[in-house]
Amino acid sequence: MLNQLKTAKDLGTPGIFLSLTRIPLTERLIVGSSDAKLYEYDFAAEKTEALAYGEGHASYVTGVAWTTGGIVSGAYDGKVIWWDMTTRQAIRTVDAHAKWVRRVHASPDGKIVVSIADDMLAKVWDAESGKLLHTLGGHEPITPHHYPSMLYAAAFSPDGKLLATGDKVGHIVIWNVDTGAKVTTVESPGMYTWDPKQRRHSIGGIRSLAFSRDGKTLAVGGVGNIGNIDHLDGPARVELFDWQAAKSLKVLEDNKFKGLVEQLWFSPNDQWLVTSGGDNNGFVTIYDVATQQIPHQEKGHQHIHAMVGSESGNKIFTAHHGRLIAWSLTTDSATA
Amino acid sequence: MTHRSYFCGSPDHGVSRRGFLGTAAAASAFAADMTHLDVLQTPLFASEVKKQQKHVILLWLAGGASQLETWDPKPGAPTGGPFRAINTSVPGVAISELMPKLAARMEHTAIVRSLNTRNADHGGGALMMETGRAVDQGIPCPDLGAMIAHELGRADSPVPDYVSMYSSTEGRRKGGSGFLGSRYAPMFLAEQTIPENIRRLEAVSDIDHQQRQELRTFLAKRFANGRMDNTVASQNMAYERVRGLMTSEKLFDVEQEPAEMRAKYGPTQFGEQCLIARRLVEAGVPFVKVARAWWDSHGQNFETHLELVTELDHVMSTLIDDLKDRGLLEHTLIITLGEFGRTPGINASLGRDHFASAWSSSLSGCGIKGGAVWGKTDEDGHKVIDGEVKAGDLFATVFEALGVDHKREFHIGARPIPITDFGCGPIKSILA
Amino acid sequence: MLTRLISLVCALGVCFPALVAAELPSPDLPIQAVIDAAIRDDLAAKSIIPALPAAEATILRRTTLDLAGRIPTLTELADFEKQSPSEKREKLVDRLLDSPDFALHQRNEWDALLLPSTRESSNEWREYLLKAALENRPWDQMFADMLAAKDDDVDRRGALQFVKARARELDDLTNDTSVLFFGVNVSCAKCHDHPLVDDWKQDHFYGMTSFFSRTYVTRNRRVAEKSYGEVKFKTTKGVEKVGHLMFLTGAQVAEPPRELTPEQRKTEDDAVRKAQQEENAELPAPPQFSPRWELVQLALQPENRPFLARAAVNRIWARFMGRGLVHPLDQLHSSNSASHPALLDWLERDFVNHGYDWKRLIRGIVLSEAYAWSSEWTSATSVPGPETYAIAAIRPLSPRQLGLSLHVAVSNPASYEMVLDAAKWSQNRNGLEGAGNGWAGYFEQPTEHFQVSATESLFFSNAERVQNDLLRDGGDRLVGVLKAQTERDSGIQTAYRVILSRAPSDEELNAFRGFLSQREDRSVAGWQQAVWALITSPEFRFNY
Repeated sequence: MLNQLKTAKDLGTPGIFLSLTRIPLTERLIVGSSDAKLYEYDFAAEKTEALAYGEGHASYVTGVAWTTGGIVSGAYDGKVIWWDMTTRQAIRTVDAHAKWVRRVHASPDGKIVVSIADDMLAKVWDAESGKLLHTLGGHEPITPHHYPSMLYAAAFSPDGKLLATGDKVGHIVIWNVDTGAKVTTVESPGMYTWDPKQRRHSIGGIRSLAFSRDGKTLAVGGVGNIGNIDHLDGPARVELFDWQAAKSLKVLEDNKFKGLVEQLWFSPNDQWLVTSGGDNNGFVTIYDVATQQIPHQEKGHQHIHAMVGSESGNKIFTAHHGRLIAWSLTTDSATA
Repeated sequence: MTHRSYFCGSPDHGVSRRGFLGTAAAASAFAADMTHLDVLQTPLFASEVKKQQKHVILLWLAGGASQLETWDPKPGAPTGGPFRAINTSVPGVAISELMPKLAARMEHTAIVRSLNTRNADHGGGALMMETGRAVDQGIPCPDLGAMIAHELGRADSPVPDYVSMYSSTEGRRKGGSGFLGSRYAPMFLAEQTIPENIRRLEAVSDIDHQQRQELRTFLAKRFANGRMDNTVASQNMAYERVRGLMTSEKLFDVEQEPAEMRAKYGPTQFGEQCLIARRLVEAGVPFVKVARAWWDSHGQNFETHLELVTELDHVMSTLIDDLKDRGLLEHTLIITLGEFGRTPGINASLGRDHFASAWSSSLSGCGIKGGAVWGKTDEDGHKVIDGEVKAGDLFATVFEALGVDHKREFHIGARPIPITDFGCGPIKSILA
Repeated sequence: MLTRLISLVCALGVCFPALVAAELPSPDLPIQAVIDAAIRDDLAAKSIIPALPAAEATILRRTTLDLAGRIPTLTELADFEKQSPSEKREKLVDRLLDSPDFALHQRNEWDALLLPSTRESSNEWREYLLKAALENRPWDQMFADMLAAKDDDVDRRGALQFVKARARELDDLTNDTSVLFFGVNVSCAKCHDHPLVDDWKQDHFYGMTSFFSRTYVTRNRRVAEKSYGEVKFKTTKGVEKVGHLMFLTGAQVAEPPRELTPEQRKTEDDAVRKAQQEENAELPAPPQFSPRWELVQLALQPENRPFLARAAVNRIWARFMGRGLVHPLDQLHSSNSASHPALLDWLERDFVNHGYDWKRLIRGIVLSEAYAWSSEWTSATSVPGPETYAIAAIRPLSPRQLGLSLHVAVSNPASYEMVLDAAKWSQNRNGLEGAGNGWAGYFEQPTEHFQVSATESLFFSNAERVQNDLLRDGGDRLVGVLKAQTERDSGIQTAYRVILSRAPSDEELNAFRGFLSQREDRSVAGWQQAVWALITSPEFRFNY
């Protein structure tokens, strides 16, 4: 049984931390910030200090991923930048997208990297050469209500062969990474709230995606229907799909800790699904995948934008609006 | 005779934080003296009217749009948010990247970046920015539309003087004519796109509709014999306007426009309403308000502004082009305004909250020096550092842009009420 | 002390009856006689010859609208025409004052005045007003009920809606109380001593505010008061002052000294907050000292009561005569004298001497000669000013008067044949009230210098409800009656008598004959449009 989710380390930070990656087998975290910078924090060090990356981006850094070709980041300036992990300087800058880059993700082996942006394109890059492998365009740029749409989320499958992308109105495309071909589509319209009467704009969108470790289930995260769309006051929403059958398995809505599900992470044996995000406040909510119950959840200090887990599954790291936290995740089997 | 002035009109009321007079008491105590108020300008020849008639289209950004994501970007500041500033057609003037189309038309627009209106409450802020008054008058005051209808409307006009659209339900406010009386109240469109009771019922034939009105006029004339009464006269005027107002029904029908024109304004409701506003203005309506609600982005400010500013940029640019193509832009003033702006500070939901200390408005077209920028905020946008203006200053500027003397007074019984709030005057440097 | 008080009160233009009694007409005269003499004397002094007496049918209509809140029915018109000329007016007035209509109309008038539609109302409030109207509850008692009824007094607590609806806005509560009960608008004095009216100082505004500052409304919508609390304000010179419980005359109430420890204050604050926020919270015990009750006591003391009495007399006068003896109604102060000062003094004294009996005053006013003058000015001389009352005022109907009158006008007149039988009529009158209210919501409450809006003219011109309800040709409707008439002229006569309470002139008869003869092929539509023209005419829309 899962019995503990504890703050192991908690750092107050000046900016809004929007993205986060971890160098494998270490606790070296690289975060993307609202001040257009990247910073490295070593949580294993006795004294964790911010090591700033060099110049590069001009806006919010919303995507960062460790790859075998270095750290790759994406920002609202439309750029995708490769960084040397040692010198923390830019080694390659690409004007990758015409609009905001929302996320950057690396394949599990670190050899492929994808950037997604509000130009509604997913661009698949060779992480080492920086070569553009595929430009994937399967998302409508305009919502059914005639406003600009957004492409918020992407995830690789554990074997690295598939890529899922999810947009504002709840449309998900699953791609073959090798060929760039569309494999299938899945819909999760409950992630998008359009208010046609009271406030006449929208809120929500698919904000996170994750394949289970066995590759069979696709978890989709966002926020459920919101009454007053001025605020993020809606249920933290996760929808689980048997993606091969394009079949919705379960909608999990939490009204205790509300807001956007910004991140999803399956523990190594698919026992737990860890979700995080929030409204003004942050949350970490853990679902037991088998029972779909919540054995544990914690309020996080302010909204959580990004999260990564450790290889062993006993640690997670969260990047907040003004905070960086390491959590220890202990289970009975681990403690036994 | 001793001087009888019932109210003081003293600027000391500036220290009053809020209104302190019940409307009931006020309304019964003072209402418009029609002998002063109801003298609409005398009719001119139609061609002259068309040439000289001035109009206002007020784009009311209800809920409070962010100045940082529109007219006063602060790129790079911690408060600036993720959007960049872009250059405009006017050298030296930059606005948010969310408004590329308006940037290309900056030569028609003046920006006021230094509103400090101090009231960051939706209701109180809206009342102040609707009426242009921070100083409580102790009586219900008319909003901008009613004042403009009063100044620019014509007695013989077959169209309404003041049309107000507010279709979203959040924060819906009808606006009002206050002491100017219901003659200047808006024709209000909420859920419906065509005004209420503007269409003849099929059960009543056109000839009956017209002739029963003539029969009524016959009765009214008999009654007026020996009875000079302004309220009675207002009833007759209200009936005399009926047939004319009914002919304006088609103005509200967007289907009357060619598909190509409708496509230009785009498929959103705001686009359609602005197209209707242009149709109304073209037909001689002096004041049209189109409220776009709801901008109150406490959560997800940037996502909301991505939607709403993109729409504003497109629709307002189309409106400017359309008015210009028709030769109407120089007679039509387009205003963007709301009850307040939004906080420079970004909250944990990536939202911005209510903020009235340093925010922006824009004026385009009639009487405006295009490309002019008035006022300055500090580098984070927290406060005004140059050219602070109040609601009354902005209103005085609007009056002057339309050729209305901002020092003009209304007379409520014996009491004069200036059209412009106490201590306020126009921003001359942005007037043409 | 007494001398100082007298001179102060006189400076306010509100003098003791005792000081001027010698100059006033005898207290034993009938009200209408004193009014008639005062107005005639003033007109003579100004060499004005007043308008002619109004036609009898006009007097019937005017009086019925004023006392019953609706136009007269056909039955009432016929009855009035039969009465002997010498006593018909008095009989009419007394019948109407005793009719079930009067209490309902009086309630509606109070309701519209004291709680305009923008404020929260309640059934309890409307029931209270109706009961007060039915039992002719004296105005001083009603005043006390509205400001300070005990919350457990089921009979009177409905009156507290006046306070309840304003409890969240202290300034509104202060100023509305001053305006509506005392005829004084002190709002300018909030920010500074009034520059033009010496009577009004900031001390007066905050003095009045202090009576209300402890009032709050609980979560259960009950009116309650805290046991402590004061109003602080800054003078224009920036001096911090504390408001004293002070009436408009300057008279003050001393609160018994009472020391509260910070802990006691906190305990009370917590209890008050709980009562404001929680559904079933226990109410803190009512304080021993109630500032609102003190205001009532102070305002009713002989040296202070002229404010309440004068304001009530002036407002009732204005309602029936179109303009206050002091104008505007909220400007009772020393630099704004009455048009007929002695008349106002006499009426005020009479009102107080007869126990604030507003119904008695109403009877006197509507029986006066000036009330019954014509609203038409036929003389070649210029029209005299409204302050002379030489010509009857033209007054727009209130929404409820208009709603009720529309319903009466378009109904089959046979539905109201029992109107003279008070017992039978009272069974029908409530139904009429509901029907009238169903229309009232379409119209605006008139204010001074009221203007009829295009919204109203468009409504009458094009609304389905007008066509399908008012102009319906069913047997219960006037149009149904008219279409069944074989003689066109008698139909026109009926329509005029039912809607305008008079016979048509020859010219009118001709006009309607012409209109209807063009519609012989569709006579229902013809009658519908004829009725439409009559109900939208100014003669119907106004009490003239």
